Amino acid sequence: MDQMDYVLSILPFILSGLKLTAKVYVFTLVFALPLGLLAAIGKVKGPKLLQKILYLYTWIWRGTPLLLQLFFVFYGLPIIGIRLSPFAAATVTYALNSGAYLTEIFRGGIESIDKGQYEAAKALGMTYPQTMRRIIIPQTVRRVLPPSCSEAVNLVKETALLAVIGMPDLLRISTQIFTRDFNITPFIVAFGLYLIISSVLVKLFGTLEKKYSIYD
Amino acid sequence: MTMIRMLDIHKHFGSLNVLKGVSLEVKKGEIIAIIGPSGSGKSTLLRCMNQLETIDQGIIEIEGVVVEAAGNVDVKVTASTQEVRATYRKMGMVFQGFNLFPHMTALGNVVEAPMLVNKVAKDDAIQIAEKQLAKVGLLEKKDAYPSKLSGGQKQRVAIARALAMNPDIMLFDEPTSALDPELIGEVLSVIKTLAQEHMTMLIVTHEMGFAKEISDRVIFMDDGKILEDSNPKDFFENPRHPRIKTFLEKML
Repeated sequence: MDQMDYVLSILPFILSGLKLTAKVYVFTLVFALPLGLLAAIGKVKGPKLLQKILYLYTWIWRGTPLLLQLFFVFYGLPIIGIRLSPFAAATVTYALNSGAYLTEIFRGGIESIDKGQYEAAKALGMTYPQTMRRIIIPQTVRRVLPPSCSEAVNLVKETALLAVIGMPDLLRISTQIFTRDFNITPFIVAFGLYLIISSVLVKLFGTLEKKYSIYD
Repeated sequence: MTMIRMLDIHKHFGSLNVLKGVSLEVKKGEIIAIIGPSGSGKSTLLRCMNQLETIDQGIIEIEGVVVEAAGNVDVKVTASTQEVRATYRKMGMVFQGFNLFPHMTALGNVVEAPMLVNKVAKDDAIQIAEKQLAKVGLLEKKDAYPSKLSGGQKQRVAIARALAMNPDIMLFDEPTSALDPELIGEVLSVIKTLAQEHMTMLIVTHEMGFAKEISDRVIFMDDGKILEDSNPKDFFENPRHPRIKTFLEKML
């Protein structure tokens, strides 16, 4: 019973950490999804210069540690005079990082669509934007759901790096309680919460996959 | 009335010359079978007509509008982009591999282009689509996704989809080559219906019996050139060219 009371007493703090984690997560996805989609289309069909820039983008952001990227944005940008709030800095970093992975996922998805689909659309008089919007992207969504699910779950876990740069996220709050009380219970609660969020996401993607598999 | 005029068309893929100076005129209501060995350029010729391939040299004119002029020619495309696009829309195409949109039902496949491209209102588009699906005998399958249809049914939906755009010319690129033998008949009979309505058609096919029965002109292609352009009776009964004789002996 004591243990239960203890959990209830620390829960408000932990939930405040969860709130920050969730906020960064949602904002990241709001930016990363369109970024990934547009960058993927740019990579497939954009002008050569844009393709080169996008190549550099995904090369750098997928090829270096996320923690190092966070350090650069947090401590590097102020040196060149760009000052962002910690929340903005974190969101930008996560969005660019996640966007790079999504770019490659979406690019692979778009390129996996049979070229006959483009030809049929063209023969019916559709323009390229019409073809992408109505024919290619909807089929791509179906194919990229499984890898996107992995990315979405990864991102949940990667938000734990917020703790390292001193933001009061789920993990950092738990750590603070741990050092205060010298009790590992907050870690167990955090463990459970991460697992719950990941499971909800997997479930959500599973539902989406089912909905999109109607035409298989 | 001349529907299509192609003049000295050249096309190469890398070092491979697929079309080596092909000229062709198609009149309204003509049903032309294009036959020949594989790799002779039949499909490429058809695909050049509606810009699925760009030509390296030559002139393509559709219903009097120059839609493509390339290389060393004294004609230019003077029509606006809009006009060129509208001209291409007068041609419908049916592919060997059907290319139905798998994420849409049969009806969805057929209403899509009229609504998106021709801006037809939804109710009208559905009416058009149902009429075309009924014509190919698949109205009862309108809510089925392509994955639930047989090859022959898929191809018939693809024909309905092309017809829904109300084309003046239909291009068929080996429409039965991907079908099991027992499904070929249903697709050919749909094409025959169109022939009875005097739709202008170009059909690349390996079905010699069908070509003989339906076409009023046979074009034999070999090695990127038109070797023979005659009526089916002469073509099949008295082939002049030894190359054609050999081909027909193999096919029949």
